[in-house]
Amino acid sequence: MTQGPVQNERAPVIEPGYTLGSVTDKISSIVLTRPTSNAWFVGFGVAFLLLMMLLFAIAYLFVKGIGIWGVNAPIGWGFAIVNFVWWIGIGHAGTLISAILLLLRQSWRNSINRFAEAMTLFAVASAGIFPLIHVGRPWLAYWLFPYPNTMRVWPQFRSPLVWDVFAVSTYATLSALFWFIGLIPDLATLRDRSEERWKKIIYGMLAMGWRGSARHWHRYETAYLLLAGLATPLVLSVHTVVSFDFAVGIVPGWHTTIFPPYFVAGAIYSGFAMVLMLAIPIRKVYNLEDFITERHLQNAAKVMLATGLIVAYGYVIEAFMGWYGGNRYDAFLLWNRLHGPYSFFYYMLLACNIVIPQVLWIPKLRSSPVWLFLVSGVVLVGMWLERFIIVVVSLHRDFLTSSWGMYYPTRWDWMTYIGTIGLFLSAMFLFVRLLPMISIFEMRTLLPEAEVKE
Amino acid sequence: MSAAPMRNLDLMTPPVVKTIQQRSLIIGLVFGGIAALGAWHQADEFFRAYLMAFMAWLGVTLGSMAILMLRHLTKGAWGMVIRRILGAAMRCVPLMAALFIPLLFGLRRLYIWARPLDAMADNHLREHLQEITKTYLSVNGFVIRAVFYFAIWWGLSFFLTQWSAEQDHPPMRDNSTRFKALSGPGLILYGLTITFAVIDWIMSIDPSWISTIFGLSFLIGQVLSALCFAVVVERILFRYKPMSELLKPEQVHDHGKFMLAFIMVWAYFSFSQWLIIWAGNLPEEITWYMRRLHGGWGYVGLFLVLFHFAVPFVLLISRPFKRDITRLVWLAAWLLLMRYVDLFWVIEPNFSLTFNITWLDVVVPIAMGGLWLAYFFRNLSAMPLVPAYDVFAVEVLEVAHD
Repeated sequence: MTQGPVQNERAPVIEPGYTLGSVTDKISSIVLTRPTSNAWFVGFGVAFLLLMMLLFAIAYLFVKGIGIWGVNAPIGWGFAIVNFVWWIGIGHAGTLISAILLLLRQSWRNSINRFAEAMTLFAVASAGIFPLIHVGRPWLAYWLFPYPNTMRVWPQFRSPLVWDVFAVSTYATLSALFWFIGLIPDLATLRDRSEERWKKIIYGMLAMGWRGSARHWHRYETAYLLLAGLATPLVLSVHTVVSFDFAVGIVPGWHTTIFPPYFVAGAIYSGFAMVLMLAIPIRKVYNLEDFITERHLQNAAKVMLATGLIVAYGYVIEAFMGWYGGNRYDAFLLWNRLHGPYSFFYYMLLACNIVIPQVLWIPKLRSSPVWLFLVSGVVLVGMWLERFIIVVVSLHRDFLTSSWGMYYPTRWDWMTYIGTIGLFLSAMFLFVRLLPMISIFEMRTLLPEAEVKE
Repeated sequence: MSAAPMRNLDLMTPPVVKTIQQRSLIIGLVFGGIAALGAWHQADEFFRAYLMAFMAWLGVTLGSMAILMLRHLTKGAWGMVIRRILGAAMRCVPLMAALFIPLLFGLRRLYIWARPLDAMADNHLREHLQEITKTYLSVNGFVIRAVFYFAIWWGLSFFLTQWSAEQDHPPMRDNSTRFKALSGPGLILYGLTITFAVIDWIMSIDPSWISTIFGLSFLIGQVLSALCFAVVVERILFRYKPMSELLKPEQVHDHGKFMLAFIMVWAYFSFSQWLIIWAGNLPEEITWYMRRLHGGWGYVGLFLVLFHFAVPFVLLISRPFKRDITRLVWLAAWLLLMRYVDLFWVIEPNFSLTFNITWLDVVVPIAMGGLWLAYFFRNLSAMPLVPAYDVFAVEVLEVAHD
């Protein structure tokens, strides 16, 4: 889409008064010269402790088996799958920002794409743990891959669970590549600006000999655009496959055709909420308000509003069809959500995902960091609850009354879940400290002096 | 920044529009007469064809409204150049409302729930219908809901037109805040009303079958039809001033990109629906596809996969193809035809187990199309092709850089 020449009424993407040099100084100094604050150590310390808790919980799981979790006979997919879907959904915003918005020439993305991609990578890492430890014998997880073997074991290619293995591993690979290739020119900047020799060596190796020649830039641009093109379908396909995991089953609450677009919208919804939850404190702590401006917050809020409404559409149409379709099991599912033992969580879900986020219609709140931070937190809770409702409430009372049951997460479930938040945050803390969290060279292209005269 | 007198360009539509309008009207009346004969002799077939034709032309009308609202939210020259084309199509809502009335005389022929239930052989279906016809699927409810949908569509179209007309005269106006304030909620209303409208009008033909993505499939089909229609009209106008001066390859390129995106979304929704129902293989769902994949209907489905998706997809990958209006227009026209085939494949198998096409399936859409086009071209010639006193009109009115 071509940008119109008239942009006067919008907030700027980068505050005025910066030059090519000062942008570089400002971003690279966070990594190179700024002393590590005590707050960083405290934050990283807490996150690291949570990560240690995750390792402990997983180690104990390997010793004892998944009996330590709350999963049982009707509810075979407990927290592990809830958390997997939640994390993988969060990752989607990063890919949307870095790939789709790049192809749509939305240059405002330049100041948030780097850490959004990092967020994707760490979210996918957190997500990937769950299916692996959920299989019960994780040391045999490689059986999921179709490799030639003498056991006559071959994956069931008609199952979306197998597609998921490919979808998620492709996603992880491509996200890592995309992120790293985008980092190369900035790594070279850090190499050139480091004072200490060991930093020069490390950043130098990571920069892979980047000299910034015209040929380098030409190849870089080609590669980056190509990767963006490859990453774009992944924004849709990964969560579509995740939704197929549920939808091809005939369980009421899972088997519904709206699931693919509804899952994708929900993923982007929660992902942008996470982007805001990270961006708002980061821009405050590192004084980056000039780079991550009100405009970014507003745009992210608008994306949240739009995707949230698609999610709401999903709820409306699902509830309507449950009533209209005349299938007694679908009707019972609706009743069970509204009046069953987990009804509190369903109402919470409606409040968190549909009702509360509507405050984003108010332009004033869309540009208030405090409000956005709070609403984003609410949305993240809501989207977690959505997956909980889909997984647990659908399974706990299915067709046969005699096989009904209840699901109660154990402390190990909680330790694993909170532990992955620790993993995610530890990685984020390290990333913010060791790498340029905003793309230096892409920011420079936003400056007035970088504009090409036609 | 003075816009209108900028190039002394007459922004009114060329005289050819009048000619097309008259010819469309003649075609509409002649074919309408033939179709009326059919209504007399083959009423069942007539109403089926009428429903399909109605949905096809409603698609262009409402899809135009949706794209227009999307433009108001996002801006860009791609939308400014087709804004008045979309607007003229959107203003066919009253015509579509009038054309809806004859359908009411065919309710019993089209919808099983509108017939007496006692004679029904299938017990399970009868019990379900006895339940649902009390609350939702009743003739009264059907009419009341339709009035409600058309009222919303007419209201949206009214305000969008009024505010746009203000921008034809000095002083320079920036109505974008108003447009935005209406378009956000307007798109939500459109999404919800069209969903429930197609449940009433199409899905309820087979009241035992449900699919939650059905509304969205129609929505994307409508938007695709509207975009293709706008491309066809912009091509016709491109032969004459002022469009020949306004339309740039960049904007055509954007229209081509939208076409690509929309056919991909259409394919995505259609494939998802098929995969989920096929894998579930439940008797109340899979029958819908069994009907559409056997008895000759499967070839129509395959034809859609190839020519509503695969071939257009491959063509639209090419950048030169998307930028060249003289080539893109052929695909746009083709896709309009494919939209009708898709509607045919969704609707007609409800009535016939084996492949079945009647002369009415061809004549009725042409008749309705003739009337619709006459009305459309009348709307189009009533306003200039660009609102010259919109501050954003410079997007297309300014002299190109190169």
